[in-house]
Amino acid sequence: MTFNDILKESWLSVSGNKMRSFLTVLGIVIGVMAVVIMVAVGETVEKQITDQFSALGTNTIMIRAGAAQTGGVRTGNRQTLTTDDAEFIGRLPDVMAVTPVQNSAAQIVYGNKNWSSSMVGAYPGYTTVQNVEMEKGTFFDQSAVRNASTYAVIGPTTAKELDLPADPVGQVIRVQNVPFVIIGMTKAKGDSAMGSQDDMLIVPITTLKKRVQGSRFPNSVSMIALKLYPDADNAVVTNQITALLRDRHKLKDDAADDFQIMDMKQVMETMSTVTGYMKMLLIAIAAVSLLVGSIGIMNMMLVSVAERTREIGVRKAIGARERQIIIQFLSESIFISFIGSMAGLLLGVGLSQGVGRFILGYNVPFSAWPVLLSVSVAVIVGLASGVVPALKAAKLNPIDSLRYE
Amino acid sequence: MKKSDIIISLRDITKSFPLEIGGVQQVLFDISFDVHAGEFVAIMGPSGSGKSTCMNIVGALDTPSGGTYELYGRNITNLGPDELAVIRNEHIGFVFQQFNLLSKRTVLDNVMLPLMYRGLPMAERERRAREMLRRVGLEKFESYLPTQLSGGMKQRVAIARALAGDPKLILADEPTGALDSKMGNEILKFFKQLNKEMGITIVMITHEFDIAKYASRLIHIRDGHINYDGPMPKTDRNL
Repeated sequence: MTFNDILKESWLSVSGNKMRSFLTVLGIVIGVMAVVIMVAVGETVEKQITDQFSALGTNTIMIRAGAAQTGGVRTGNRQTLTTDDAEFIGRLPDVMAVTPVQNSAAQIVYGNKNWSSSMVGAYPGYTTVQNVEMEKGTFFDQSAVRNASTYAVIGPTTAKELDLPADPVGQVIRVQNVPFVIIGMTKAKGDSAMGSQDDMLIVPITTLKKRVQGSRFPNSVSMIALKLYPDADNAVVTNQITALLRDRHKLKDDAADDFQIMDMKQVMETMSTVTGYMKMLLIAIAAVSLLVGSIGIMNMMLVSVAERTREIGVRKAIGARERQIIIQFLSESIFISFIGSMAGLLLGVGLSQGVGRFILGYNVPFSAWPVLLSVSVAVIVGLASGVVPALKAAKLNPIDSLRYE
Repeated sequence: MKKSDIIISLRDITKSFPLEIGGVQQVLFDISFDVHAGEFVAIMGPSGSGKSTCMNIVGALDTPSGGTYELYGRNITNLGPDELAVIRNEHIGFVFQQFNLLSKRTVLDNVMLPLMYRGLPMAERERRAREMLRRVGLEKFESYLPTQLSGGMKQRVAIARALAGDPKLILADEPTGALDSKMGNEILKFFKQLNKEMGITIVMITHEFDIAKYASRLIHIRDGHINYDGPMPKTDRNL
């Protein structure tokens, strides 16, 4: 028996009972497709999270004002952090850049246009901490912070919504009747876990606190963000900041911290553990459907052996050896699972790429391992579900088989 | 006849089957006979006589419980299933009552089947199969399915398949049992022609004397014993 004979025999048997073969193949198609799609979903989620964190940088630390949530009562509305805290933290040797951050909603007016966006008060260090790059103009400097200058850096989405010229530098906009001169526009970054970075107005924090909010405590801020040097140890710096802030806030030894430190590296590690488990769970569920599909093949092959008992008898009578009967039936089940796996692979990749990329707009990673998986599934499932029926066929006694009605 | 002409040699062959209720049932008792090259032998007997069991042993489809069986001078009594398969493939052509053609394969594919198991290249298989189909007068039907043919044509396809492997021995088990008498006679005449013109040895099983008469030698089996072995008698009155 040559390879061509085996292929031809398999094809003739499989195509001889189209409906049954189709349904059996469908079981494998659905199984492989489910695995491929679940892998794609898992990897997409993983990639989204990794991308967002790497845009932000894992060497970023955020400090929020207020104690951690205890007993369901959030006591974090008090703004316990100050710009001075930020400046002290900035002097720690491992800190590359630091900025206090104050967020505020803003109704921005330009000419007869009106756009509600968010306003961020910050230090120049914001550019380093948040990886901000400039499309036009410049970011404000520390003297603008000191003088509470009415300079603003605008996001590209905000600029577009306000119908600002392509180069908005020098234009004047108003927020709560305070005129701001636009001195720069950031490069588009896309959405991230922290909200859109493209639809915002960044101004010196002093300007926001004093001129826009008219705050009685212009030094207090809701958050401090900082970036560490690449070789810094996040845990060490976290401890240093805790000690520094507790000292500055004159907290007693038994008092809880009145701030929360969010180490992005730790957060990311937690997130990737969670997504890892989620991915495993999804794949496990999909694998069950693959298992059901392969039981379908075994079932079909067993029925097929029973139905073709007489044929097997004829083949043996005219000289088929046991090995040749085994090869015939094994190749039929591998043939079915091969077709099913390939169709499942194509459908799975097509659907995950098509729906994910073009309808949901995610960047779905294309990895080679679903391909490897499908090929190994084809062989393993085919072999596993074909071996029992094939052995059964090979062991049939030619006399009994020939008499079989 | 020379001893070297002997194709089939059975000596004291016995066969018994275990019964489900326990014990064994003996079907053949000390069967001994030789078949020489070029003979046309009919094995006849009523149903239950053991003639089919005898045929299965001669056809290397089954092994005896006792005794020895030599085919072409080789003792094949105790060979395993795969060795017997090779022997069937190379030395024996089978013709069955129910034709036993693969219904979803074309006529040509059916005739080529034994040659595939022998491992011949495709071109050679096709050449030989077409030659055999021509010999049975079905060369125009090679791409038909067996279901599109009449019973007589199906049996001719089965004969072509039996001949394709170029065996010197054909075993026919009630070859006309599923055919009307006109077609049956045609098939039997064809066997006779094969035997005469090509010197192919034919062993045919039947329960009808009218069919057995086409052969030149009769072996009559009753209750597992041979009760007649000799030239074809004029009538079956004394069997």
